[in-house]
Amino acid sequence: MKTLRYSPEHLTSNRRLFWIAAALGIIMMAPVAWIIGLSFKDNAELLRGTEAVFSLPYTLVNYTNILKSSSVFGWFMNSMIVAVGQTFGVLLLSSLAGYAFARLEFPFRKTLFIIVLFGLAVPEQAVIIARHQMFNWFDLHNTHIGLILPNLSSAFGVFLMTQFFRAIPKEIDEAAMLDNASTFRIFWKVLLPLTLPAQATLGIFTFLQAWNDYWWPLISATKADMYTLTIGIASSQTNFAQSEGLGFLGAQAVFASLPVVIVYIFFQRHIVTAVSGGAVK
Amino acid sequence: MKRLLLGTTAISVLALSPIANANTTIELQRFFGACDAEYGSSIDVSAAVGECGIITTLVNKFEADNPGIDVKVTTVEWPGYDQLNAQLASRSAPDVVSMHYSAMSDYQSRGLLVPLDSLLKEQGIQATDFTDAAISSVTKEDKIYALPFDNWTMLFHVNTNLMKQAGLIDKNDNPVLPTNRDELFAQGQQFKNATQQPYLIQISANETAAYARIFYTLMMQQDSKFFADPSRIDLSGEDAKAALTLMKEIVNKGLSSQNLDYPAAVSAFANGNGGIAVNGTWLIGSYDAQSKEANNALSDGYRVFPVPQFFSQKDATYADGHGWVVPRGDRSDEKMAAIGKLFKFLYDNDYEWARTGHLPTVKKVITSNEFTSLPHRSDIAKITKTGQALPAEVLRQFAIQDILGEELGSAVNGNKSIDDALKTAQYRINDLLENI
Repeated sequence: MKTLRYSPEHLTSNRRLFWIAAALGIIMMAPVAWIIGLSFKDNAELLRGTEAVFSLPYTLVNYTNILKSSSVFGWFMNSMIVAVGQTFGVLLLSSLAGYAFARLEFPFRKTLFIIVLFGLAVPEQAVIIARHQMFNWFDLHNTHIGLILPNLSSAFGVFLMTQFFRAIPKEIDEAAMLDNASTFRIFWKVLLPLTLPAQATLGIFTFLQAWNDYWWPLISATKADMYTLTIGIASSQTNFAQSEGLGFLGAQAVFASLPVVIVYIFFQRHIVTAVSGGAVK
Repeated sequence: MKRLLLGTTAISVLALSPIANANTTIELQRFFGACDAEYGSSIDVSAAVGECGIITTLVNKFEADNPGIDVKVTTVEWPGYDQLNAQLASRSAPDVVSMHYSAMSDYQSRGLLVPLDSLLKEQGIQATDFTDAAISSVTKEDKIYALPFDNWTMLFHVNTNLMKQAGLIDKNDNPVLPTNRDELFAQGQQFKNATQQPYLIQISANETAAYARIFYTLMMQQDSKFFADPSRIDLSGEDAKAALTLMKEIVNKGLSSQNLDYPAAVSAFANGNGGIAVNGTWLIGSYDAQSKEANNALSDGYRVFPVPQFFSQKDATYADGHGWVVPRGDRSDEKMAAIGKLFKFLYDNDYEWARTGHLPTVKKVITSNEFTSLPHRSDIAKITKTGQALPAEVLRQFAIQDILGEELGSAVNGNKSIDDALKTAQYRINDLLENI
């Protein structure tokens, strides 16, 4: 078995790095720990002072109040349907568009690509009224489709996938062509599997964005049974929750973030790659 | 076989038809939060506490008392107007919506609310049944546009334990409160010297509403007509300067807490870190409950009063409130009748809602034994007469409150001169109102 040897200087340097990283980690995790602490405290106790977080007794009552609400699981399912639906939709459309822009020749290809990129510069606020009216004409408010559709056209997704397809050597396509593969077969069987890192990146970002989305569900899903979790838990807060319902607020925050934490735990490697810019090479 | 099928079908249709046609459904949209876990199936209104508990139980009780009417409740995040705007735009507004009096003009002026005069009349409810503070806030162009449900305002929540320590308790065990600005400064200094704590606990960080509400009160106490023309604010007079100068001097003399946001201000008072919390009616229940427990800063030492009259011209306090409105939409006579019944039920239970700490809107409730025997209510009941809203025609009151609060905050905290702050506030508010 190979023994790793480190010089004393190397070890000292690593220890320093470790302690710096640990200190930064603690600073970054402190608000999370704070919220978790609040979630286990009685609201009346917190009204008098949040320092109560550091002392007994703790309670599960805030969590049981969330779980006793008959609506919360419906909201959870709505969020899941919207987030998963949007993720698959964005992956499919962005991959197809990305492949087309990167590999196919068709009229106005460059112009269309620039138009797509303009989408990155248009804030949602600028189109929200027109979008709301259009969805109203088609009677799509208060439907899952109405919540999924608006974000399927992802300019970021198309850009990311186009760049990734461009980075794949064209010789791979040519080799497949020599084997008489059709364009779709080349896309589906040969190139798409090579884009998995980019798909993972895009999928994770899309899921997180869809899960956390607040504004569009707020004005599109106005019936309580169509609320997503973000809207549902916000609506269940009392008027002065920031002082009188702090524990419940903490429990809601923890509950709502659980799926995101789970996604992070399972896809940690891909998220780190995505954030560090390693996906596009 | 054919007969059997027809017979079965007929019986099924007959059996199902009462279910399909039995109930009228009212879609009610409100803030106040959700508390299904505790009150989802409760119909014992007297046992419910807090805004959410009481309104949830009231609706449950109404449904139980009216088997032919279902009330489908949608809770929205406070204040819920973005959602309502979207619903109105897509013509899917609910039947009944909770609304602040100060927001009503924005909807009424665009014809988005249904006048309720005839609906209330059919239920035997008269405009004269309500307090002036309430009915004047929901009456626009001589028509009533909401069932007034409560009035709320800023109050002086007093820690009498600390006031005693400062020698500010009279022989009847009542706290001595200022009746003019000189007394305010003298008593504030006396309190500070004796307790080493600020006399007032005010919300001053991340806050605009509190500044604006106190400013409105001080303006109204000078009988100022700063919205003589509802489409323009006038802050150029000596009255505005006097009001803001008083707010600034309180801070400059060290008589007020500083840099506290809303939650911090609430807990500072609960922990005895100041004598008087300038905060809303909604905190009465929490502080009163705390005062009945032993070994805390408010134990047996909590009272609450209207904001004192600092200017001699008029005894007035800025007050807003919550009402129930019916957005524009096509509704059957049956549904409107059901809404009328719901409103009558809420009107009849105004006392129950007043247990939240908000002030009742029905005159007979204010003089009733059950209301006056509630803790502290007799001390603040006069607000139902002195409470005053901005003129009903003033639009965008929420936005005005934010602008005013920002500018007043800048002056109070020393970033702007009083003149600059008032001038900028006037310019920004009038710019907003001109561009509606």
